[in-house]
Amino acid sequence: MPNLALAQNAKVLRFIPQANLSTLDAIVGTQYVVRNAAIMVWDTLYGVNSKLEPQPQMAEGHEVSDDGKTWTFKLRPGLTFHDGEKVLPKDIIASLKRWMVRDSMGQMIAAQLVAMEGPDDLTFRIRMSKPFPKMLFALGKANPPMALVMPERIASTDAFKVITEFVGSGPMKFDKANWVPGSMAVFTKFDGYTPREEPSDWSAGGKRMFVDRIEWNIITDPATAAGALQKGEVDWWENPIPDLVPLLKKNSNVAVDIADPLGNIGSLRFNHLQPPFNDVRIRRAVLMALSQEDYMRAVVGDDTSLWKVSPSFFTPGTPDYTTDGGDILMGPRKYDAAKALLKEAGYNGEKIALCVATDVAITKAEGDVTADLLQRIGMNVDYQSLDWGTVGARRAKKDPVSQGGWNIFHTWHAGADCINPAPYSALQATGDKAWFGWPKSDKVQAGIDEWYNAPDPAAEKVALAKTNRAAFEDVIYGPTGFFLGYQAWRKNVTGVVKAPFPVFWDVKKT
Amino acid sequence: MFAYILRRIVATIPVMAIVALFVFSLLYLAPGDPAAIIAGDQASPADVERIRESLGLDRPFVVRFGEWVWHVLQGDLGQSIFTNLPVTHMIAQRVEPTLSLMVLTLVFSVVVAVPMGVVAAWKQGTWIDRVVMLLAVFGFSVPVFVVGYLMAYAFALQLEWLPVQGYTPIANGIWPWLSNLILPVLTLGGAFIALIARITRATMLEVLSQDYVRTAKAKGVSQAPILFVHALKNASVPIITVIGLGVAGLIGGAVVTESVFAIPGVGRLVVDAILRRDYPIIQGVVLIFSFVYVLVNLCVDLMYTVFDPRIRY
Amino acid sequence: MSITYNGTGGVAADLPDVLPPVKKRGRVLTFIRRNPTLSAGGILLGLIVFMAIAAPILGTVDPTAIAPARRTRVPSALYWFGTDMLGRDVYSRTLYGARVSLIVGFAVAFLSSIIGMLIGVCAGYIRLVDTIIMRVMDGLMSIPSILLAIALMALTRGSVQNVVIAITVAEIPRVTRLVRGVVLSLREQPYVEAAVASGTRTPAVIFKHILPNTLAPIMVQATFICASAMITEAILSFIGAGTPPIIPSWGNIMAEGRALWQVKGYIVFFPAVFLSLTVLAVNLLGDGLRDMLDPRLAKRL
Repeated sequence: MPNLALAQNAKVLRFIPQANLSTLDAIVGTQYVVRNAAIMVWDTLYGVNSKLEPQPQMAEGHEVSDDGKTWTFKLRPGLTFHDGEKVLPKDIIASLKRWMVRDSMGQMIAAQLVAMEGPDDLTFRIRMSKPFPKMLFALGKANPPMALVMPERIASTDAFKVITEFVGSGPMKFDKANWVPGSMAVFTKFDGYTPREEPSDWSAGGKRMFVDRIEWNIITDPATAAGALQKGEVDWWENPIPDLVPLLKKNSNVAVDIADPLGNIGSLRFNHLQPPFNDVRIRRAVLMALSQEDYMRAVVGDDTSLWKVSPSFFTPGTPDYTTDGGDILMGPRKYDAAKALLKEAGYNGEKIALCVATDVAITKAEGDVTADLLQRIGMNVDYQSLDWGTVGARRAKKDPVSQGGWNIFHTWHAGADCINPAPYSALQATGDKAWFGWPKSDKVQAGIDEWYNAPDPAAEKVALAKTNRAAFEDVIYGPTGFFLGYQAWRKNVTGVVKAPFPVFWDVKKT
Repeated sequence: MFAYILRRIVATIPVMAIVALFVFSLLYLAPGDPAAIIAGDQASPADVERIRESLGLDRPFVVRFGEWVWHVLQGDLGQSIFTNLPVTHMIAQRVEPTLSLMVLTLVFSVVVAVPMGVVAAWKQGTWIDRVVMLLAVFGFSVPVFVVGYLMAYAFALQLEWLPVQGYTPIANGIWPWLSNLILPVLTLGGAFIALIARITRATMLEVLSQDYVRTAKAKGVSQAPILFVHALKNASVPIITVIGLGVAGLIGGAVVTESVFAIPGVGRLVVDAILRRDYPIIQGVVLIFSFVYVLVNLCVDLMYTVFDPRIRY
Repeated sequence: MSITYNGTGGVAADLPDVLPPVKKRGRVLTFIRRNPTLSAGGILLGLIVFMAIAAPILGTVDPTAIAPARRTRVPSALYWFGTDMLGRDVYSRTLYGARVSLIVGFAVAFLSSIIGMLIGVCAGYIRLVDTIIMRVMDGLMSIPSILLAIALMALTRGSVQNVVIAITVAEIPRVTRLVRGVVLSLREQPYVEAAVASGTRTPAVIFKHILPNTLAPIMVQATFICASAMITEAILSFIGAGTPPIIPSWGNIMAEGRALWQVKGYIVFFPAVFLSLTVLAVNLLGDGLRDMLDPRLAKRL
């Protein structure tokens, strides 16, 4: 009797996302949860498969001129938006323009752009002043912000202003009427969508939908989410916390597997502008004592298949992974040497403003370990317990600590964003214009430039090794380890794959 | 009487103004930044600044407050910073679950607690009294979320009688609606039952010691009518007062209950909004909460006249 | 302390009319027998206070020392209450956590009583400011205290001190209302009117005649505030707006362990039991105090 509601329709997929969905604008907002929703509603010209290769999606194919400056794309016929309008080159041009303002690769394209034009309804052309070999990756990458194609009237919204109309050409429509922010988001199948012929692979291939309706149930309490999955009140949980996985595995109706093979890289972020961490020796002293194992056990737990010590700024398991220069994080931790280095650098008990977002489990665990670490090497820690919204505002302040600035905060980067320098804003070392912390390192920038201009994969690999070594020498930030997350689903759901985002196409429910 | 109601309503306007001003100044001074949250972790500092400008959050607080008051006077509570949906719409979506939870809890608590208190007073000093009072103290002593988890574990996961979480609108049927609310109501009711049972017992003790009750007893009126007709009626004024005051506390408890049982209510809405600095929502909800509080207490005062004919307005 | 209320009402009825002459040795026992609730609460609270003060010598280790390699161990001879997600010793954390909860409880009770009493006396005695004060208090009371505390915590960074301030602000209106009510009724008392008529100056009237008489109800009210402050501290930590997680408080231990309650229930269980016992002790103390001072007070509280 109590399960009456569950039996009614098998074609509704109930999903617990990692966080609340408070907007669908994946250009203005770079949160992963927004991207995960947007990727169902909006389609892209190219997609990326599990080998990280760009594949045509809305595009049928492309031609590059001999000088490498002109890209001509043929669109797949029959592409329509949810409101019934045809997808035209003008929509694509407007969408890419909005995206270029916000995306770092998009900005590079914009800087070399001569024109974007649509000679006919199925042809779209980009003319550049210089060759841009990473064009297809830029158009197809699943890292936020993605080059999503929207109708021109929506895409002409300012790139810093949130859109309010959610019409795309993707396989699912967003049901705005039934949206209860903080509790429920509903997507319904778009019957006008024609999937590609090939099998799906991440955001590439045919996006075939086998459910009529996808309901995102926002359940922020992990204990409650676990209960809901155990009882079958939901079908799929994006990020069960590792400690609860043994419990879920005991349930014969629940399947558990790694969610994103590219995982995440934890980050201890220094403020490079303010003392004492404006001194590279002090940053290095922290790395000498930093135990990734401590961080990983605190963040993830005892399940060693879920995390690894990774002395690198890049994602393990990807072709260009390198540990060059990462020795400082390996071997027994050198507390005495770290203390000596602190002394040499003239650290004299100044307070370290450690800003911890205690409402986010991962940053909270990282913060607790860091407080312990800094105390061990004799630093004077001022642990500031804040919420994520406050950390977000605080970290933007370049002022001295006494005037509301900061010394350290924590976050983590999706491994998918750390495969190479293109989507990796946290690695940029351009000083004032860089990501929060404002690291400045000419060596790192030289390595990144070398990668962009690398003619072949071998050269890319060499460039990344150089970048990694430089990033450790100048301590851009402190990587606190590489970790994976689980996903769990009821066994009457099939077709769940490992990917950097939840892939809803090809998922069946019986 | 109508003049009285009118006077009360006019008098509540300053209360609401104070609340609005207080919460507004409090939160606008708070350091959080919605723009940084919208922008996400990847966004650059310059991007965050641009988003802040597009949201109008770079303007001084006095200007924004003035603007908000102006709109409220025109009946417009504004839009959420994050979702761009009208605040009235977002609150309206969530009123039914919270109202259901509160009303059911209120009814359930009164139905359980008043007889408990009456019996305890009647059997004053006996073991029944002690057990009731001990239960009441326990009701106060256990944090509401601990009760919630225990309930969910026992009745939803082990016995599988009830759902673990969620809410079904009453339009989808009484049982689906009720089944989702039973555990939250039991959870939230604990402290409230304790409160009402205590006040009922205390007031009943006082009333029972008064002359007219002794007289009724002496005249041979049997126990039950004495307790429930004569005494309880006279004890009702303080009991109703406490229930009225307790509504504010109930809203606080609802915040926690809603997040334990994933109920899409107003409580969760406002906590999320505070943590994300969604100012228009916080303002709107607090305004509505204080309106409800004022309304409930007005009802309480009017109920006095029903239960105690000596009181007239 | 002057207690002018004399307990002759209902509760005293089961006491013998003539008290047997007490020997000195029996005094404590007699007190316990006459005030069982008060004594039970007092003894229990005394034990918990002792535990909090003596935490360092009760076989504890550093409650904040993390050891991620030894995380989520179940209770054993080595870790009496097990370890939490960061490998910290739950036994040590629970014992030290008593300090935070007690400090929060007592500080809030003390501060809100003092401030509430001052405001309440002003409101009750000075007609001019009464309306304004009571409107402000109504306004504050209409915001649920938890929300008020969350909002205040959003304004400042998490610290024990700020938790105390936040909960105090939310509790002040309750004390103010109570005191104002008492003062209003006292003002009409013949002896106060007599004092005023004989030319005693207002401050003197307040300090000599009014304040002492508000103490009894305030004391009883303070115990309930103390209990509710401890619960509120736990709820704030639960929501993520409480004491900083680096400080072991019962609320924090429970908030951190709550996700694991199905698998590692002991992390929530121990602090929950201690919190409940402490709140129970304080409530019993309050009930006992009320019965001892004046059963009729029960109506107001």
